[in-house]
Amino acid sequence: MAIPAARVLTPPRVSARRRQAGTPYLYLLPSLVFLAAFTYLPLATATGLSAVRWNVLTPEPVFVGLDNYRALAGDPLFWLVLRNNLLYAVGTIPTTMALALGAALLVNQPLGRLRAVYRVGLFYPTMVPMVAAAMLWVWLFNPGIGLVNHYLGYLGVPRVEWLYDRHWALPAIIIMSIWKHFGYFMLIFLAGLQSIPAELHEAAAIEGASAWRRFRHVTLPLLGPALLFVFVVAIISSFQVFDQVYVMTQGGPADQTNVLIFFIWQHAFRFWDLGMGAALTTLFVAGLLVTVGVVFRGVGRRVYYEVEG
Amino acid sequence: MRTGSRLGVHLGLIALTGVTVTPYLWLLSTSLKERTAVFTPTPQWLPWPVNFGNYVEVFQRAPFGLYLVNTLIVVSGILAVQLVTITLAAYVFARRRFPGRELLFGAFLLQMMIPIHATFVPNFLTLRTLDLLNTRLAMMLPFFASGYGTFLLRQAFRTVPRDLEDAAVLDGCGGLRFLWHVLLPLTRPTLVAFGLISLVSHWNDYLWPLIVTDTPDVRTLTIGLGMFVQQESGADWTLLMAATAFVTAPLMVIFLIFQRRFVESFMTSGLKG
Amino acid sequence: MRTRSMLAVVLLGMLALAGSGAVLAQGKLIRLTFYYPVGVAGPLAKVIGDMTDQFNKQEAGRIEVVPVYSGDYDPTLQKVQTAVMAGNPPDVFIVEISELHTLLAMNAIVPLDEHVKKAEGGRYWEDFFPAFRENSVVGGKIWWIPFQRSTPVLYWNKEAFRKAGLDPEKPPRSWDELREYAKRLTVRDGSEVKQWGVTISGGWHDWLFEAFVRQNGGWLINAEGTKANFTSKEAVEALEFWVDLLNQEKVGPPHSTWASTPPDFVAGRTAMLYHSTGILTFLKNSAKFDFGVAFMPARKSYGAEVGGGNLAISRKIPKERQEAAWRFIEWMTSAENAAKWSIASGYVATRASAYDRPEMKVHVEKNPEYLVARDQLKFASAKMMAPNYQKIREILKKQLDDAVDGRVNPKDALDTVQRQVMAVIKR
Repeated sequence: MAIPAARVLTPPRVSARRRQAGTPYLYLLPSLVFLAAFTYLPLATATGLSAVRWNVLTPEPVFVGLDNYRALAGDPLFWLVLRNNLLYAVGTIPTTMALALGAALLVNQPLGRLRAVYRVGLFYPTMVPMVAAAMLWVWLFNPGIGLVNHYLGYLGVPRVEWLYDRHWALPAIIIMSIWKHFGYFMLIFLAGLQSIPAELHEAAAIEGASAWRRFRHVTLPLLGPALLFVFVVAIISSFQVFDQVYVMTQGGPADQTNVLIFFIWQHAFRFWDLGMGAALTTLFVAGLLVTVGVVFRGVGRRVYYEVEG
Repeated sequence: MRTGSRLGVHLGLIALTGVTVTPYLWLLSTSLKERTAVFTPTPQWLPWPVNFGNYVEVFQRAPFGLYLVNTLIVVSGILAVQLVTITLAAYVFARRRFPGRELLFGAFLLQMMIPIHATFVPNFLTLRTLDLLNTRLAMMLPFFASGYGTFLLRQAFRTVPRDLEDAAVLDGCGGLRFLWHVLLPLTRPTLVAFGLISLVSHWNDYLWPLIVTDTPDVRTLTIGLGMFVQQESGADWTLLMAATAFVTAPLMVIFLIFQRRFVESFMTSGLKG
Repeated sequence: MRTRSMLAVVLLGMLALAGSGAVLAQGKLIRLTFYYPVGVAGPLAKVIGDMTDQFNKQEAGRIEVVPVYSGDYDPTLQKVQTAVMAGNPPDVFIVEISELHTLLAMNAIVPLDEHVKKAEGGRYWEDFFPAFRENSVVGGKIWWIPFQRSTPVLYWNKEAFRKAGLDPEKPPRSWDELREYAKRLTVRDGSEVKQWGVTISGGWHDWLFEAFVRQNGGWLINAEGTKANFTSKEAVEALEFWVDLLNQEKVGPPHSTWASTPPDFVAGRTAMLYHSTGILTFLKNSAKFDFGVAFMPARKSYGAEVGGGNLAISRKIPKERQEAAWRFIEWMTSAENAAKWSIASGYVATRASAYDRPEMKVHVEKNPEYLVARDQLKFASAKMMAPNYQKIREILKKQLDDAVDGRVNPKDALDTVQRQVMAVIKR
């Protein structure tokens, strides 16, 4: 087969000559300085605070060990919030990724001057500041006067009450989030596609491979690194969702749109329950770390990295 | 490409773009409406009479020109430093093997995972210690390292053929020179994508800039925009839309300029070697 | 050449700064930071800027207030909390009135009794409307001063009333009338609602629910914030009335969001609307039809409670700064400025004598609907106040929503609230 094979990643070979350019740690140092000051310090603070009770009724912190975590485990609202967030993740991640990949494949074609128009149009939603975008969508989703129901009506879809309905509020936020975020991922895929040598496609086309086979056997394997990146980032950002919920529903109706970061924000600022907020924060980061670790071990191993030139 | 399939691609894109830009067109239309013409029983697309007064009023409410300058300084400052930090870090994560590599990489990803609200008080304290409150630098410092960017670039670096590096090393072009002369040119589309994403995200940062700055001379566009959303009454809808159109316009120009860099960059960057 | 002229500019600038510094040092100028939110539509940041400018002019050389726009209520609270925790508090600030217990737990503010007693020859505090005063007092001390205050009211669309054959000048006065009118005002096209009879705006519906309980002669939490009373007959009846309206008769949307119901009203999608006085200016600017503002309908009596933001002074600042901050607060809340702020913002003026001022008289004569909220204050009292109020609020909202959806009956819903609330307020 003339299609060059992609090769499974093996750890980069190390040669003595490469080492001479300085120790790897030196390269990491600039980043680590800033990460230490602005990420690890707050994280350590939160982990420490998670072991105290410190709230409106307890103005001075009191050491309570794992009590905050125990209280969370026994709080049905915590589990509802977790469920909501998982639904949100399941609702957003596959759709966003599929749309982003599809759009990237399309706008990577030679389309003349219109290509720039499409790219701007598809990336536009990510440019709108979240406060404004969320307010705009409150209006678009308004059951009586919003554009969404107006146009769905033309398609014969029965009226949906969206944010005014406990069952539809979360889907509404999911739809809005897909609209807002797929442009980011489209851009990543576009960059990945650009890095695939055109010769590979040409060679495959000469071989008589169909468009689908070329996608399946050339494009997709070579997009592996980008796909892994997007998957991991999509998981993390689906658990970071906050602004939409804050502006559009405040977690309602009946906590049906309450998600983890909103829950954390409620505890840390609105309820002024610092210990509980810190415990939630710690759990949140630990949970994400484990999830991402599992993804790397599972999916990450199967990603093809380098091209044999 | 055959004409038939090209038409299909256009149709698909028109449909998709149509859906994504409708909210934008609606926003533009609203920004040109009189207040009494905004909320109608059925949507009215044409603003009539056309009212440019909303834009005028937006500029009277807050010094948006100054905010634009500050925003440009902040986002380009962040991006400039990020490009250095992520390139160096991504290079060793992608190309070197050293004890603790996986662990350190995980530690970089922590930056994306920490809830931003948990960082406010400690970071405010740090900036106060550095005597940097109410400065543009205060809005930039926490973002000078980027786990996101490091991860993205690491993935891109890993796709570059190893034989290329071996050849380069034989030519005496290892380490930083290899990074500069080979890796970066070959991954330019990814750098462009990262640049755009970084610019856009920090352009839209809201809560941190609001908390860490006090005076208009350092504040950014989104803080001005926030003035048109109110918890008690909802929003100044027409002004919010006009302000949003203004705030996003420079981003669109930046995007239009940079997206050209995507076009066939790989072909010209010379992977023939 | 270029560098040299740059250098010259920099040097000049430094000289100018040094010069002004010298002048200020003579009068020992106190520069105060003042965080404030903008809670309702309108050019209010400008108004605050003008007011502080005027104060600064008057106090030239002594006090200079630097107003810091701090976003909406929530971001402002977050900014205050962050600054206080990091030991860099604003000298004076406005946050939403329900946050008092949080501020007390943070040890963030000082009581103002001494100042209040001496102000305006001792007649200062009595001049504030009693309902506005109540949310200032905890443990017998006055902690902050009412500034931008609101209360819920009922808006009605006169045109919709006319079309439904109702007298457009007569809003419902009682719950029964409300239900009756709402039924007649609800317009359906098949199963689709074209116009709701009444919308009880969501988001802050816990606040509106409290008003319904008061109208029925009940209360939810005692003034000291130590006892909850959610299972009273009055409260259960109020929730039963909601369920009746929104679930049985279906004359209003079961849920909604605070930001999207004013547009519903303006577009004619709801004929009556429960919302804050804070949207009156927005409605006047946006609605093409005639509408009215009324007291919320009564059951046993009229009833309402208050909302909005108060002015407070930080604890962890030097005494002389606190004194200066008080001068500023006293000035900002003078009858003259209370009137000025009310006219500019649409908030209810906090003091009775503000309504005697000539400019206010002209204003309300032209816009009599602004007086409704003030008159309703006679029947109003404090917004419920307790440590952990914000948690109580979320507990209540959840059960209200479940009850309105018919998932739990009103009695059981409020039993749950009572149980959970007692758990979060007991020490």
